[in-house]
Amino acid sequence: MTIFLQLVASGVAVGMIYAAIAFGYQLTFATSKTLNFGQGEALALGALFGLTLAPFTGYWLMIPLVLVFGFALGAVVERLAVRPAVKIKSEYGWIMATIALGIIFKNLAENIWGRDDLKFPSPLPEEAIQVAGVRILPMELLIIAGALLMMLAVEIFNRKSIWGKAVIATSNDIDAAGLMGINTKRVITLSYSISAMTAAFAGVLVAPVTLTGATMGAVLALKAFAVAIIGGLESGLGVIVGGLILGVAETMTGFYISTGYKDVPGLILLLVVLSVRPVGLFGKAVIKKV
Amino acid sequence: MLEVTNLSAGYGQIEVLHGLSFTVPKGQVVTLIGSNGAGKTTTMRALSGMIQPRSGSIKLAGREIGGLDSHDVARAGLAHSPEGRRVFPTLSVEDNLTLGAFPRLTGSRPKGDVAADRERAFVLFPRLKERRTQLAGTLSGGEQQMLAMGRALMLRPEILLLDEPSMGLAPKLVEEVFRIIRQLKEEQVTMLLVEQFAMAALGVADHAYVLENGRIRFQGPAAQLKNDPAVRAAYLGGDH
Repeated sequence: MTIFLQLVASGVAVGMIYAAIAFGYQLTFATSKTLNFGQGEALALGALFGLTLAPFTGYWLMIPLVLVFGFALGAVVERLAVRPAVKIKSEYGWIMATIALGIIFKNLAENIWGRDDLKFPSPLPEEAIQVAGVRILPMELLIIAGALLMMLAVEIFNRKSIWGKAVIATSNDIDAAGLMGINTKRVITLSYSISAMTAAFAGVLVAPVTLTGATMGAVLALKAFAVAIIGGLESGLGVIVGGLILGVAETMTGFYISTGYKDVPGLILLLVVLSVRPVGLFGKAVIKKV
Repeated sequence: MLEVTNLSAGYGQIEVLHGLSFTVPKGQVVTLIGSNGAGKTTTMRALSGMIQPRSGSIKLAGREIGGLDSHDVARAGLAHSPEGRRVFPTLSVEDNLTLGAFPRLTGSRPKGDVAADRERAFVLFPRLKERRTQLAGTLSGGEQQMLAMGRALMLRPEILLLDEPSMGLAPKLVEEVFRIIRQLKEEQVTMLLVEQFAMAALGVADHAYVLENGRIRFQGPAAQLKNDPAVRAAYLGGDH
């Protein structure tokens, strides 16, 4: 039983990282029906940028700077990769363009920080604490708290601020939002900024427990994509539940079957959800009006 | 107030409007009537920048607004309550109203007292007041129409465009909508009205234009068109 709880605890921390990245996918999908397939690179760049800053600023002061960096990065992605594709009404151009930009970012990072994985100094003690026989790293608790806090902050921004309401209005009905005097192009840029900001933040959260490098985000982003599909692209609760399910399923598989099969449950889950409930576990059925 | 000259517009290859010219004087209500497909909604969309005009000029208070994006048209002071209401379903009634004042809250129009205007909207549309925290998507069709009109008024617009405000409503609610339009007229709100109930529209309007296949066929004081036998026979379908 202790082992089981131990696996759940570890799985939750990983799952929250998936949830945070998947949440980023949702943000841009809501306003523009497009996604940044370079989310993994935004995460890696955020972590590497944070790694460079940390010796000067310390871990905590580095976080706001990384958030600003992620925010700016998202705007660049939207302007360079998404807006041109949407403008010429290319239905899938943004997919190739965001992937391409992600590759460029990855190469850029390899040139600046090298190809080797780097150790990210942990801001918290690296000794596990015991809770009811379950060993958990302080950093894992920080991941869970940080990811939840970040999603909560974005949700409060959306609900309470006038620009947040403009984001929801744009997600609801982009033409009607335009009639309200909302510059919906700017709202879409804003959603990309917030999305990349969440990815960069996830990067500095996860970096101390993994290794830091240009490719660190690729697998995380892919799994988060599965989470977004499993949970539903429009449901905030869905990505948290989806992330937790996937995180726990992975640690379970790793322990009870083999670490070699660790990545399998995510894919199986994805296939099952797609065949049984294509809108995701928490998604609402979409009726496309013609 | 609104001066439209030789406006042509359409969708893709198809031109729907072929050189419309009309004016809406300040403080007056002007209605566009005509059968389905005559180009009424297309005219509204071209005015508010939802579609870009191909040629012609649209002047609001002397300023050219033709060719601007819809958000810039709204900032210039034109509020469009669109066909089908288009309220924001996952936002509360209150938030929908607040968003109508978006240009005022973000500095592109004089701010004034947004909260007081919201309260005034609740006076004008009492049904909305009881539902102020409810999500707009859960409102009935009539309530959504009230909300769409209230939201458009939150701009404190120079001109209000109302596209089919009575569409799909029960007769009692249609009356209610026209009562509100009359009240707005008394308050000197400049309005351009498109309506399927042509008789009711002519009843409230000062001036009317009859559209046919994207061209203006007749125009004149509303009271006069209402009694014109040719107009009655062709567009008003008997005793509407």
